[in-house]
Amino acid sequence: MLVEAQRNRGALRRVTGLARSTPGRLSLLALLLIVVGLLVGAVTAASVQRRSGALEALADRSEPLAFAAQEVYRAMADADATASSAFLSGGVESAALRSRYEADVAKAAAALSAATTEITRSPELTEALSTLSGQLPVYTGLIETARVHNRQGNPVGAAYLREASTLMRTHLLPAARELYGVETGNVVRDLEDAGSLPWLESLLGAATLAVLVFAQRYLTRRTNRVLNPGLVVATALTAISLLWVLAGSLVAVYNASESKNEATLVDLLARARIATLTARGDETLTLVARGSGATYEAEYAEADEVLDDLLGRARAMNPTPPVVAAVEHHARWQDAHRRVRQADEVGDYTAAVALALGQDPRGSAAAFDALDSDLVEAIGAARAELTDAIGRARAGLRGVVPAVVVLALLAASTSTFGLWQRLKEYR
Amino acid sequence: MRRLLAVLVLVVTAACAPVPSGAPPIGGGSPGPPRPADAVELTAPPSTADVPPSSCDPRASLRPTGPLPPPGQMPAGSTMARIQAQGRLIAGVDQNTYLMGFRNPISGELEGFDVDLAREVARAVLGDPDAIQFTVLTSEQRIPALERGEVDIVVRTMTATCERWQKVNFSTVYLQAGQRVLVPANSEVTGIESLGGKRVCATKGSSSLANVAAASPKPVPVSVPNWTDCLVMLQQGQVDAISTDDTILAGFAAQDPYTKVVGPQFTDEPYGMAFPKADEDFVRFVNALLERLRADGTWARLHQRWLGDPPTPPAAVYRD
Repeated sequence: MLVEAQRNRGALRRVTGLARSTPGRLSLLALLLIVVGLLVGAVTAASVQRRSGALEALADRSEPLAFAAQEVYRAMADADATASSAFLSGGVESAALRSRYEADVAKAAAALSAATTEITRSPELTEALSTLSGQLPVYTGLIETARVHNRQGNPVGAAYLREASTLMRTHLLPAARELYGVETGNVVRDLEDAGSLPWLESLLGAATLAVLVFAQRYLTRRTNRVLNPGLVVATALTAISLLWVLAGSLVAVYNASESKNEATLVDLLARARIATLTARGDETLTLVARGSGATYEAEYAEADEVLDDLLGRARAMNPTPPVVAAVEHHARWQDAHRRVRQADEVGDYTAAVALALGQDPRGSAAAFDALDSDLVEAIGAARAELTDAIGRARAGLRGVVPAVVVLALLAASTSTFGLWQRLKEYR
Repeated sequence: MRRLLAVLVLVVTAACAPVPSGAPPIGGGSPGPPRPADAVELTAPPSTADVPPSSCDPRASLRPTGPLPPPGQMPAGSTMARIQAQGRLIAGVDQNTYLMGFRNPISGELEGFDVDLAREVARAVLGDPDAIQFTVLTSEQRIPALERGEVDIVVRTMTATCERWQKVNFSTVYLQAGQRVLVPANSEVTGIESLGGKRVCATKGSSSLANVAAASPKPVPVSVPNWTDCLVMLQQGQVDAISTDDTILAGFAAQDPYTKVVGPQFTDEPYGMAFPKADEDFVRFVNALLERLRADGTWARLHQRWLGDPPTPPAAVYRD
């Protein structure tokens, strides 16, 4: 115990003794500069790495997964609307509706397998994902049963279709909505991580510069030389590193905020597309229910209101041609829907069905198809902008981490070299 | 020093402890089989428990006044004149009961015995069996739709009961049915009496559901909105039997050869067309029409078309 304390005291005395002589102080200063330079370099590099990691996660995982989730949701809503249309059209459904339904199911399954990889990052999705992957085959089974019965002329086919639709609306679509919500939330979170202002990097860089200036002034006072070349170079290297980090980070921050706007737009448009499909399903089911479809009609009105709001907001954000066309086609659809309801209410069921499903360019089907393809185009464009902005943000940070590390090492060695020159004079 | 060593050993052991896996477990399988919308297992008997006043004969309807006026020339001020002015008869029917009122999946048209009778009414009032607008009603929606005046007439496998007579008017009986039981072909059930504790399906608001709930030993009644939903549940093994009128069960058996109808008729279900309580003149008109359809063989022809060899049509009974 005593020996240890004495040894400690001896070490302390040696350091304080060192601090009393000028060469000792110079050595300590050199040590300080090395430690500060390397430490700050490491922390800055880590901070830049974190930002770039957030962008990487965004580009490689969150954004594609959010898109996959959106596809799951969209494809399922579309499959349901298509199956109802096929049923309503009577007889054996057309090849076009059949292949659209099959494409939806294939798309939903493929997008689902992509989205399932997210389970490790968002374990709260376990239940939603198991519902989706477990109930999708049940859903398609019910649809096929309905189809077989329809072919045989058995009215029980309609009951199987209703059961399938109920499964879709009460289990699958809510799970898909939850999945989409969580994935979109991950995108927003990654964007916020990537878009935080580089306060830490600036502060650390400024502190390093201050230490270097202090060392320079100390040397000037002690050695009567105005500038120490080693320290000047180290200061310049540190300043370059700081500017590089700031420039890269600000490019990233700027583009991340751009991306956030685009992500909001993609979200608005994606939800508008899903509302479109929901409204279409409700429009069809109102006719299938034939007079007792008041609840479906109320759901149509609700979905239509949501759609109206989403399209209005999307247009206010970015009135690109497809978005403007979508607003226009939506108005045309609303008009067609009013005529469908009118025909149905005065008892002209055949005309109502023809208006809802037929090829009439002023009918519901045409307006719905036009609106849907507008939204596909608008979502494609907004998503391209989003990935571009993420790419630009990542480009801003490219090479910053190795540069910070190399510059920190160089600054530490040049400052040590500069002080070594002075120390030599005391030999 | 020893303490230091102990601490060191502790730290090393803690550091070497296995790290639990963060991978979530495989999600919890099926959240139950798919079910038709609004399928409910009843714990309490439905509110439509039959308590007929003893004086009531549900078969007795209002007597026709004179011969039928020619189509398109209804007496002024009558319900028929109003229907003529609106240009079409609004009829509440079913699209889920095979052979009685159902949607033909191939053509998309509504067909069946009930539907054809409704067309006969349209022909008698307006001179055109297609001057008709169908409103599809579930069992439960029939009486409210009549009370709100949304339909002029309901022709939908509706049993005339004294309780319902309080809210609506019925025509004379146009078909005599009785409740039986439908089970899978390999079932050992022999009738309503062997269904104690078993799950039995019927539609909400139907007299069949009330009869199932009143049966003894007590089955577990399961209610659904539409009759075909019952067949779906039976085919998916979610109910053990369906119990309703033999006319409806015959439609199920025709759609599924793997089922059989068992047991005797254990209730008496006289079907009548239903009208809003106020439209007594229309009831008398339709009763006159039914007299004619029974007499001129139209009734037998329709029965032959949908339900097979016609028995003698149910006799008309009048209360006045």
